[in-house]
Amino acid sequence: MNYFCQSLWAIFVKDIVTELRSKQVLPTMIVLGMLIVYVMRIVCEAPSTSTIVIGPAVLWIAFLFSGLLAQERSMAAEEQENCIAGLLLAPIDPGTIYIAKLFVNVIMLCVFEAVVVPMAFVAFQLSVADRWIQFIIVLLLGNIGISSIGTLFSAMVQLTRGRGALLSILVLVILMPMMIPATFALLALFSAIPIKVEGYGALAFVGSFNSAVGYMTAFDAVFFVAGWLLFGFVIKD
Amino acid sequence: MRRILLLLAFVLLQISTWMALTLGQIAGPPANPDSVVRNILYVHVPSSMCALLCFVVLMVCSIGYLCTNRPTWDLVAAATAEVGTVFATVLNLTGMVFSHAEWGTWWTPSPRLITSAILWFLYIVYLILRANITQSQHRKARICAIFGIIAFLDVPMVYASARFIPDVHRANFSFTSAWQTTAFMLNMAAMVLLAILLTWLKTDILKNKAMLEKESTY
Repeated sequence: MNYFCQSLWAIFVKDIVTELRSKQVLPTMIVLGMLIVYVMRIVCEAPSTSTIVIGPAVLWIAFLFSGLLAQERSMAAEEQENCIAGLLLAPIDPGTIYIAKLFVNVIMLCVFEAVVVPMAFVAFQLSVADRWIQFIIVLLLGNIGISSIGTLFSAMVQLTRGRGALLSILVLVILMPMMIPATFALLALFSAIPIKVEGYGALAFVGSFNSAVGYMTAFDAVFFVAGWLLFGFVIKD
Repeated sequence: MRRILLLLAFVLLQISTWMALTLGQIAGPPANPDSVVRNILYVHVPSSMCALLCFVVLMVCSIGYLCTNRPTWDLVAAATAEVGTVFATVLNLTGMVFSHAEWGTWWTPSPRLITSAILWFLYIVYLILRANITQSQHRKARICAIFGIIAFLDVPMVYASARFIPDVHRANFSFTSAWQTTAFMLNMAAMVLLAILLTWLKTDILKNKAMLEKESTY
């Protein structure tokens, strides 16, 4: 267990230090996120009531696409200088490499959100009132889901034709079901819909804010365990 | 053997279609009782069953490949994905026709329609992934197997949403006559047989293609 923690910490620090020195990914992510938010705000010239409905969708689109940038780079950097060979030669379990990369991607998304979310709040006149903790939990669950699939798939698509484009369709198609409860949760937090929705349709499918959080946790757990177990098959050759 | 089964599937399809349009015809919507549009159910439901069945086989073959590294598993998985795409396309198209006739709209974001669309997207993305991996056959097979397993984790949602969640889409349909049940069962048998035969044929084609590629490299 101690060895696992040491290896995890070593890879985690390596990736964070590399990013801090090169400043390759985070600035690009933040600028992309800001652009998505502002372009959407400009094209949504609608009365202020509907901005609360569009806001959550714009936030998730920004998180998804900027997250893809971070995930794509996290494995591409390893492949470019053939650093992956060094990682594989080290006596580390592939699952540990996966968890370390996942942590880095989650941290990157959190830093990105710390800049982009306040901007979206201003642009779309959003407010969560006193539900900040629930808001942070929802974002964190979203980040874990996006990163667990993105980290696994970014390793998969290395050395394929059209790497970036392929990664985006793979991640988006798998995360599509998770985006339904994720959007529900943000809509409920911004008071665009009631905490409980009954009847027919995609929102009633989720039901309530609590079940939306439950669905997201279940998706995260399934994707994380699957990624952790399958990562070894992806990188070994 | 395969020709006989193909003939049997064809005959079964003919009989069940004839039965569905004559003896077992389902009455149309209340606004237009003479319409035959509800008979699309005889194709729609078996297609959904076949599309899901293909995904189960795809997942089993993916696990089989990761455990044994035998190329046959990968070839069957690739064949099932292509056949599954056909059935998922039929499922969504017939669903759209039925939806337009029944509710006046081609598509609505109801849970079952969303999940059926997701199922179709998963198949298409799997095929795109296969086409884009230019590395060794072994790595290609391994990566596709991993995607097949992860994609299957999304599929239980399709089934669960069709059974347990309130929706404009019906969870089940009760037939009013024995002819309707017979026609439905015959159609279901014919479609499943067709799915098996198409997978079998496609697997053989892929096997021959792999052999030819191997020979041409020498």
